[in-house]
Amino acid sequence: MTRKAWMITRIGMKQLFKDPLYMMFFLAMPVMMSWLMGFLPREAAGLATSGVMVMFVGLTLITSAGTILEERQQGTWTRLLAAPVAPWEVFSGFFAKSFLMGWIQAGLLILAGRYLFALPWRVQSAALFLVLAAYILAMSSLGLFLAGFLKTLPQVQMVSTGIVMIGTMLGGVFFPANTKSPVMAAIAKISPQGWAARALSDLLAGRAAAVNPAPLLWLFGLGLVFLTLGICRMGRERG
Amino acid sequence: MAFIEVCGIYKSFGRIEALREVGFTVEKGEILGLLGPNGAGKTTALSIMTGLLRPDRGDISIEGCSVRRNPRAVKGSLGLVPQEAALYGRLSARENLNFWGMMYGLAGRPLRARVDEVLELVGLASRAHEPVARYSGGMKRRLNIAAGILHHPAILILDEPTVGVDPQSRSHIFTTIQDLNRAGTTVIYTSHYMEEVELLCERVVILDRGRVVAFGRIADLVGLAGEAQELEITAAGIPPDLPAKLCGLPGVERVLPREGGLSILTGAAEETLAAAFALFTGAGAAVSRIEIRRPNLETLFMKITGRSLRD
Repeated sequence: MTRKAWMITRIGMKQLFKDPLYMMFFLAMPVMMSWLMGFLPREAAGLATSGVMVMFVGLTLITSAGTILEERQQGTWTRLLAAPVAPWEVFSGFFAKSFLMGWIQAGLLILAGRYLFALPWRVQSAALFLVLAAYILAMSSLGLFLAGFLKTLPQVQMVSTGIVMIGTMLGGVFFPANTKSPVMAAIAKISPQGWAARALSDLLAGRAAAVNPAPLLWLFGLGLVFLTLGICRMGRERG
Repeated sequence: MAFIEVCGIYKSFGRIEALREVGFTVEKGEILGLLGPNGAGKTTALSIMTGLLRPDRGDISIEGCSVRRNPRAVKGSLGLVPQEAALYGRLSARENLNFWGMMYGLAGRPLRARVDEVLELVGLASRAHEPVARYSGGMKRRLNIAAGILHHPAILILDEPTVGVDPQSRSHIFTTIQDLNRAGTTVIYTSHYMEEVELLCERVVILDRGRVVAFGRIADLVGLAGEAQELEITAAGIPPDLPAKLCGLPGVERVLPREGGLSILTGAAEETLAAAFALFTGAGAAVSRIEIRRPNLETLFMKITGRSLRD
């Protein structure tokens, strides 16, 4: 990562941290939801807590498409492309911002869950790290891919809410997916949220499901596909 | 060879031809005006010049380097001041300038010193730590210019930098541009305000519907307008057939509708005025204001295109 790309990452994060409303949604609301989920019976709490993390991290990362649109609307995108900065530097700067924000949010939820609400997260677990890395990669890439196609902030809101809600509700994040319905079974099969939530709740329950490479491969695969498509799309912008 | 050569640029967006074989040159150290009504193609021309858009045909060379073939090579020597204040509202002026300076390769102490310098230049040093969102429109415009000149660009491109700006900030912007030009910066200044271009520039390119309709020294171009003067009459209750009647008056070349009245391009202002006034009052129109303008770029534009720059 170049210095310019890192500066794009930093300025993006700085702006988000200076937005009180965003911070409330980004940190306070998911922490509060995790806390409430902690009151559920132990087995249900595991699924619900990992569901909260998957839902909020997913929403944060997909709506990061909106920050690129905001840049376009305020003209900073034009100024950025008019500067001697390569398109891949711009892309990697935005991707790194999204990726880091995902980690910050997930990390905070794990720490809050473990040390404030006594949820059984194994912070040092390599499996936990791998599942989160794969999920954050998949959703960050999806967010940046969408930024290349969506033209307005209402479009971002609609599409990202749709993807997160459908993937979360029907993907078996908060309750087991209804495998009798072929539609729901298909959604549960492709939804990154479903894969991530199942792997995380298995980890919470003490089952090292992430050793099973299928969820990781699916999430990493999705991430790489969207990342490649996003880079191709951005490469078409002048640099 | 000219400092900047724009050769036969053609650009379309679907069926819309934004630029049609546009060509002009810019000499080193001059302030060139790019004038035209809204939608004339000024911003498209600038976007091609800065490498943001690729022309369908033609090329622009800057000091012999092709923008089409090597856009990144010329970007470092260009300073772009976009039409909208392209700044991060939640961050302070200093944070914004630090960021844009780094995008142009500045860093460390030279960057900090340059940020201080440009903040002084645009008169924002005392409010450098405030979030930009709290700035007035004029202050944002000044900061927008500051961000475009941080890296000492050889060419400064300003896209309508005074739109929606208060008179004090406008005057500050003009002084800044003139100071930069005196220090050796070549400036390309786009506007649809003729008065601004006449004040700042010696040469001008006039664009209309994607074509260059006039290019040269302002004094020479105004000469092309001949003796034609613009008679602007503001009146209420103008009947629809009045423009046609006015066209029949001796010396009248064109009659154009204006907000609240009519503009008459005439070679004999005094004679036309008396006859036109009689026609207005005879038709029952209540005349509230009459203004006679000497030949200027607006007159030339009207004469060439039959439309107003303010359309």
